[in-house]
Amino acid sequence: MRKSTLFIFFTSINIIFLILLMLHSWTSLRTVGAFLRPCTDIARELQLTDLCLFTEARYTRNPSMADLHAPFQDHPLALEHFPSGSLVTPLRVRPGAL
Amino acid sequence: MIELAHVTKSFNAGRSNQFTAVSDVSLAIRPGRVTVLKGPSGSGKTTLLTLIGCMARPTSGRIVLRGLRPACLATGNETGDVEITSLPERFLTGIRRTTFGFIFQHFNLVKGISVLENVMLPAYPIGVNHRVFRNKALGLLELFNISRHASAPIDWLSGGEMQRVAIARSLINDPHVIIADEPTAHLDTRLSREFMEIIGSFKGEGKTILIASHDPIVFESPLADAVVEMRDGGITGKTDEP
Amino acid sequence: MNRSLERHRNIIDFALSSLLRRKGKNISLLMVYTLIVFLVAAIMFFTHALKREASLILQDAPDMVVQRMVAGRHDPIPINYGKRIAAIRGVSAVRPRVWGYYYEPVVGANYTMMTSDSQAQGTVTIGSGVARTLRLTDGDLMTFRNYNGVPTLFQVQKIMPYESELVAADLVVTAESDLRELFNFPRGHATDLAVTVGNPRELTTVAAKIVLLLPDTRPILRSEILRTYDSIFDWRGGMMIVMLSIAVLSFVIFAWDKATGLSAEERKEIGILKSLGWETTDVLLLKFWEGTVISLSAFLVGVILAYGHVFFFSASLFEHALKGWAILYPQFKLVPVVDGGQLAILFFLTVVPYAVATIIPSWRAATLDPDAAMRS
Repeated sequence: MRKSTLFIFFTSINIIFLILLMLHSWTSLRTVGAFLRPCTDIARELQLTDLCLFTEARYTRNPSMADLHAPFQDHPLALEHFPSGSLVTPLRVRPGAL
Repeated sequence: MIELAHVTKSFNAGRSNQFTAVSDVSLAIRPGRVTVLKGPSGSGKTTLLTLIGCMARPTSGRIVLRGLRPACLATGNETGDVEITSLPERFLTGIRRTTFGFIFQHFNLVKGISVLENVMLPAYPIGVNHRVFRNKALGLLELFNISRHASAPIDWLSGGEMQRVAIARSLINDPHVIIADEPTAHLDTRLSREFMEIIGSFKGEGKTILIASHDPIVFESPLADAVVEMRDGGITGKTDEP
Repeated sequence: MNRSLERHRNIIDFALSSLLRRKGKNISLLMVYTLIVFLVAAIMFFTHALKREASLILQDAPDMVVQRMVAGRHDPIPINYGKRIAAIRGVSAVRPRVWGYYYEPVVGANYTMMTSDSQAQGTVTIGSGVARTLRLTDGDLMTFRNYNGVPTLFQVQKIMPYESELVAADLVVTAESDLRELFNFPRGHATDLAVTVGNPRELTTVAAKIVLLLPDTRPILRSEILRTYDSIFDWRGGMMIVMLSIAVLSFVIFAWDKATGLSAEERKEIGILKSLGWETTDVLLLKFWEGTVISLSAFLVGVILAYGHVFFFSASLFEHALKGWAILYPQFKLVPVVDGGQLAILFFLTVVPYAVATIIPSWRAATLDPDAAMRS
């Protein structure tokens, strides 16, 4: 078999696969509501403000409730939590706010 | 017929190390015959061959190909004359591809790939059906008795075998003119005589052959119709058989 | 048309033969290239999907959360602040929220404790992550130490569904009185106030009024809550910058290898090709395909693997990186979503510089007369 035939075959299969995956993601759009219902129900009931991603510290667990001082309230030296500290940035201050 | 009129080729023109390889050469190469360029190394034979083979342009002078009517040119005059010195590079390549088959002194085969692929290389950019020219290449390898090496990497072959690959490669596009530069330089007497036999068969097919050599086996061969002596870039003598 | 196709295929044939001459080098180059594309694409898919889920899940967050600040630090808010806020025009409801954090020393995990009116006293509803960490089932008993260190027992009434881990993995929901007693929460105070505003366009106005009325408060709008999650995994964040720099540097190194000019052998080979009748465009096409075979394959395989890793295997490789020191990390599946624009950028980053870096150094040699190329 010619080398170029193999390459074209390989590339076409990959492209088709990629397109199928794109279609997969587009069709999931329809079911996303049902898929996330367990989360949205609880979030609505308890009026949650944050996702539970990083549970090591207050300001990483509830970044939207935190402010620039929150890390310091944990510990005078405010030891960095890695990697969540570098992934979660504190709320940006609205102009005119405290 | 290939006509050269006052062809000169200088390298590094205008600079202190200017070197004139070919100076004021006028020559007519008759079709269907074997012409040999004879002379010591440095006489300009190789340069002249590259000029004729459309691989370089002369610094001054004209080279005309008569009666060849290359298919790649849409407009040629009725007589089929083409002056290659004034052609842009695109057309020059087309002519080189279809009209000339070049056999280099050092073979210039591409290392690392197979013998078969080396032979097929000149035909790649043309876009002819792959199976067609693959079979043609295999046929040529068969003709020169090296088809058993078809899928071997070129590096494994002996000097004589490599030369036969080079010859096969030069034929893949059915050229009218075969140009060979010092073809017997790396061959022993037996292989040199075999080479001249192959040349004889080409001549029998009506091809025009141009060889540069300082090997007596070549220029004293009965097949040589015309012998042109060169020295220091110019022609010093010519013997022509009618 | 056919001729053109055949020409391309022939040139690809030779490009592949050319690459196979240095099999080891090119295969390892391909593998590393694919790995880098995989990492960048996986990060891209993961963060984009997570941000979208955040925006969907948190869309029912309170209109506004009002916190109290004392000496620049967050402090419990008096409930009568809520009464005063409720009197502001535009505010339809104010609900005091009592919630906090509890550190469990046995496993070293942090729980988020919240309250609900529907929770019976002496019972808790726990998140699936808590149940997993302590291996609890319905009806089991949990011990909490109160502010005095005295242990208190609670019975697990319900465990939240596994699919809710993304929001509720570490939640412990109690009755309000239980939580107040556990933490000795100051009476007449709450953690913060959830404010509902009738007209969403009046949010900023109401917030301004609240600050005017109660200068020691800090209102947080829902738009700001959602914006937090838009900027999470921001490329300016420390770890993201490191990953992206590594990727960009790698692409530069790959291209550098090609771009630093041709070796004498390569130049001679181009001369040979030209002497055989290859035009300049044919030679450049060859060099283009030599580069594109590797970069295109790396891109396609890397992106496909990244998609599979993130959406079919829940980004398991990232779990270790993201978990950090946390004991409790949620297990969740992400809804597949692909940002075409980001993918296009990745494609251009991956394929174009490499192709350019392969063609440009060959340009000069490809345009030379074959004679000159072979002599040099």
